[in-house]
Amino acid sequence: MATRRRANLVLGSALVLVATTASGCSEQTKSEWSRGGLPEGATEQSASIQNLWIGSWIAALAVGVLVWGLILWAIVVYRRRHSDGMPQQVKYNVPIEVLYTLTPLIMVMALFVPVARDEAKLTELTNTYTNSVNVVGYRWSWGFNYLEDQVYDVGTPDAKPTLWLPIGKRTRFKLTSPDVIHSFWVPNFLFKMDVIPGRLNQFELTPNRVGTFIGECAELCGVDHSRMLFNVKVVTQVEYDAHVAALRAKGQTGQLKTGRVSVRSNVTAGGAS
Amino acid sequence: MTAITDPLARVATAPDRPARSERLGRVVVRWITSTDHKVIAHLYLLTSFGFFLIAGVMALVMRAELAEPGLQYVSNEQYNQLFTMHGTLMLLMFATPLFVGFANLIMPLQIGAPDVAFPRLNMVSYWLYLFGSLTTLLGFFTPGGAAAFGWFAYAPLNDVVNSPNVGADLWIMGLAISGLGTILGSVNFITTILCMRAPGMTMFRMPIFTWNILMTSILAVMVFPLLAAALLVLETDRKFGAHVFDTGNGGALLWQHLFWFFGHPEVYIIALPFFGIVSEIFPVFSRKPVFGYKGLVFATVGIAGLSVAVWAHHMYVTGAVLLPFFAFMTMLIAVPTGVKFFNWIGTMWGGSLSFETPMLWAIGFLVTFLFGGLTGVILAAPPLDFHVSDSYFVVAHFHYVVFGTVVFAMFAGFYFWWPKITGRMLDETLGKIHFWWLFIGFHTTFLVQHWLGMQGMPRRYADYSASDGFQTLNLVSSLGAMALGSSTLVFLYNVYKTWRTAPLVTVDDPWGWGGSLEWATSCPPPRHNFTSLPRIRSERPAFDLHHPEAVADLAARSRIVEGLVEPVGVGGSDGAGSSKGAES
Repeated sequence: MATRRRANLVLGSALVLVATTASGCSEQTKSEWSRGGLPEGATEQSASIQNLWIGSWIAALAVGVLVWGLILWAIVVYRRRHSDGMPQQVKYNVPIEVLYTLTPLIMVMALFVPVARDEAKLTELTNTYTNSVNVVGYRWSWGFNYLEDQVYDVGTPDAKPTLWLPIGKRTRFKLTSPDVIHSFWVPNFLFKMDVIPGRLNQFELTPNRVGTFIGECAELCGVDHSRMLFNVKVVTQVEYDAHVAALRAKGQTGQLKTGRVSVRSNVTAGGAS
Repeated sequence: MTAITDPLARVATAPDRPARSERLGRVVVRWITSTDHKVIAHLYLLTSFGFFLIAGVMALVMRAELAEPGLQYVSNEQYNQLFTMHGTLMLLMFATPLFVGFANLIMPLQIGAPDVAFPRLNMVSYWLYLFGSLTTLLGFFTPGGAAAFGWFAYAPLNDVVNSPNVGADLWIMGLAISGLGTILGSVNFITTILCMRAPGMTMFRMPIFTWNILMTSILAVMVFPLLAAALLVLETDRKFGAHVFDTGNGGALLWQHLFWFFGHPEVYIIALPFFGIVSEIFPVFSRKPVFGYKGLVFATVGIAGLSVAVWAHHMYVTGAVLLPFFAFMTMLIAVPTGVKFFNWIGTMWGGSLSFETPMLWAIGFLVTFLFGGLTGVILAAPPLDFHVSDSYFVVAHFHYVVFGTVVFAMFAGFYFWWPKITGRMLDETLGKIHFWWLFIGFHTTFLVQHWLGMQGMPRRYADYSASDGFQTLNLVSSLGAMALGSSTLVFLYNVYKTWRTAPLVTVDDPWGWGGSLEWATSCPPPRHNFTSLPRIRSERPAFDLHHPEAVADLAARSRIVEGLVEPVGVGGSDGAGSSKGAES
């Protein structure tokens, strides 16, 4: 924990160095710095993304500071002075060239290991999920088919829909589109996936923090792309059940059958990722 | 250094300014009928810079719109047209033809050739580029407006149902035509480099810029036909009812694969020539040869090779690609790119650095592009890319990479080679004001966009809500953009002022330490480039010519040069091969 905090501190101060617009220094700003600018995660999977983000930035900025330092050093130390003649005409130096070829190679290999590990974990599809929702992206809003409870909800650009998720349940998201490509992005989940017509895209996350989060379409889908917003509410199981009952009471049972949103055909086309 | 005494070097010694007294109509006719690679280069540079200005104004309109929440100046639809055309113009009508312009201007000079291999084809390439680009731009004057599906035109947003306007058809066909121009230009460059090098100019004595033009042209010949094919198939879908990109056939992903198999090498097509430009500038202002020449060449070849194996890193969030493979290949690109950085730093290391405008721009490139490279490695990691993909983080990343490379190196090249274009130098003081103005404007605009993206602002949003917390950073970015945009006025004034008042350059090499052959002929060069060629016995023939003392010194320390260089001007007998300039 102490190491982690120190690492975050190092990163925080490094980021302050390159920033031109550190606005104020409230508690909120400070904790945002410690997350390297990311929003606060809201799923069990967020921690690994957050750690990889911090680790990668430390490595990247270390390289950056080294190389910027070398550039600055060369500019200052080797600037031309009045009496200078011609410098020594060095053309190459094989040991140094081997060194600066192999070092980056080893570094990217070292970075690749955690990347591949986390990426496999993050995109893993299990049979142990306990909740599933079919997210339908269409021009220009979202529909949500709650598959276990057989209820649905649907939005418009002017009336943003809200996706309700019970806390602590591993949830399978099944993404389908009846028209063009959209992208399902909840910044607090630190994750997005495209919603592609003719294809079923799936991923699993476990929400672990109660709250209301914004969601956005992240792939250009036409005129009202920037209005294709939604909310995500992570709630307790009791509240979730109450919401499902409310949807049922409104008669929103079964699956969306709006003609534009034909899920069946999409499920049969294309496989799991 | 060495003044030209050759009476045949007509332009340099001309006392008056013949171009000024020539009537405008004659100039136009001479330019549009010319097959001189230098004149065609001027057409390319002028035209692409014109498109740069137009696309830049589009960017300013977008930044004005984003300065505060709500829609103030344009509608959603107009905003979509603006970023679509901004991207299209910047990549395919500015950066790509700018490569052709610089290649035409400098490459034949650097290899000691009188012109390119196919001068008329060269002119055909230019007309294809110009009219293809104008076709694409014409969309703005059609009832439905210009194309609005983003510069990568994802299927099925690009089909006739979702984009029924004729502007989309003009976009598709215009790019196919202009792409043909790029293909023909590249064929021309490859042939020229392989077949028209002067005696003594072996492949491993070619300047780095020429090497980079060769690799760029090979990439262009590989991927631009693929873009043309994809575009024509798309038009067949739209006009003749074919179904290649139907979503039921997996067309949505097929388009992405085809587009990015073109699109990623395209990024290197617009990067490598500009790496080449700064690789020419660092040695001149460090007064040293480029460090690790062969390593630099192999790094360029490596980047070109890897660039065709990483296209799907644009598609991580589609959930349809083999993530570990593309992640690893993408990260590998950091290796040859890192090598280049150390080559450039190694060139400066131990040198005698002065900071004339070309050097300033080249260092500006180095500092800026480095940060783009670092965020590139972050984006190469799928677990991190999932969050920031299609956000302002990506917008910031590729502006650091592409603006950092193309625009910084373009201005570096302009200030560096201006005497070879016009016979006059640009003003140094104005050039330095221009640099700092643009440098500060650029970083103010784009650095903060990284935070916007991390915090959740998607790209291509015409509007955002006041409650999102994006307001302050967007305002900072927009103010930076206005500074960035206005810096161009300094450059335009510099061009105007020096055109009217700057004295003609009377020497071959006004910088004094040039290495490649363009510095061994007049400013600007005569019709067929050289009245005589110096001996080419190293990768720096002009340097050997103008600094024989260094050559003699090098020969004495043969452990460094491995017998590459014979002393010129030391013994009396080998003066025959060197130009008159060396003897004066």
